[in-house]
Amino acid sequence: MRDPSRRDFIRVGGLALVGVGFASGRPARAAALEVIEMRSDPLGARVWFDPIGLFVQPGATVRFVVRENVHTTTAYHPKNDHHPLRIPEGAAPWDSGYLVKPGDHFDVTLTAPGVYDYYCVPHEAAGMVGRIIVGRPAGPGAQPFDYWMGRPGTERWKHVPDAARRNLPSVSRIVAERRVRPRTQPLRQGDHP
Amino acid sequence: MKRLAHTALAVVLGAGMLVVSAESLAAQQKAPPGGVYKEVSTLVPLPSFLPGLGTLYVDPATLPAGPFLAYDRQGSLVSSIYMIPLTDMNARKGFTGLKVGHERADHVDIVYNAGHPGVAEPHYHVIVWYVSPDRAATLAK
Repeated sequence: MRDPSRRDFIRVGGLALVGVGFASGRPARAAALEVIEMRSDPLGARVWFDPIGLFVQPGATVRFVVRENVHTTTAYHPKNDHHPLRIPEGAAPWDSGYLVKPGDHFDVTLTAPGVYDYYCVPHEAAGMVGRIIVGRPAGPGAQPFDYWMGRPGTERWKHVPDAARRNLPSVSRIVAERRVRPRTQPLRQGDHP
Repeated sequence: MKRLAHTALAVVLGAGMLVVSAESLAAQQKAPPGGVYKEVSTLVPLPSFLPGLGTLYVDPATLPAGPFLAYDRQGSLVSSIYMIPLTDMNARKGFTGLKVGHERADHVDIVYNAGHPGVAEPHYHVIVWYVSPDRAATLAK
């Protein structure tokens, strides 16, 4: 019997992760699998999620797939290293852990309506973040980045880095376009990041 | 940008002026270098062989600057890599006394990296190559 590969483990772990949302009273329709690629140029100088903005219906499963480099997909949530809450209240946060090889993937099923912001642990400061809207734009992720400032219990929360703030597409744009591609090109020699 | 380049250049020049014992240099020419050096893939979740760089070893006490000693697929030393966070550059932090892996360098690459396990923030790789650009290019495969 062979040892389970990391990819197998991730697949099982991912499918076991189900967003915890409030019941809508309607049975969820079987939704198509949405894929978000985790990309990088050969130098590791430019990194991005593609698409960076996505609109899905409640119950949709989103698969994050590594194409190049080493990445994570990690929800903005205080349980993830004191990051601010930017997914719906009561929804389960996710953290894929490091996905090391091309083809490694992690699945998340999102049931609670609202905005879900997420980041890549080693690349958050470089602006590798993404936003998913499930059903309708609502919840903490639809609020300004620093909405939580001064509230009790948020003393250890970290601020979203500047590069991440710049890169996240607006809620209104995602609602209008449904699928937002990142603005990125491979870095050329002589370019400044 | 000019300040970043000056800082990076200072790192390279500082590293090149160091004196390292002949015995320790000889021991580092083939992987594993031994001593305090650990394979990076055993310290953080990274593949053992990194395309473009090779198999890396580092003394954990020297993180994040390094040097990271890089070896090709045949286990020969190809470069020393110094990883300098942009936050340190912008804070005008100096890095002196960095070790080298070989007595003679062939060329130097200074390239931006968005981050990776172990140095999870934007930084520069200062790569002191001990092999030709053509041979360095073979590491991409």
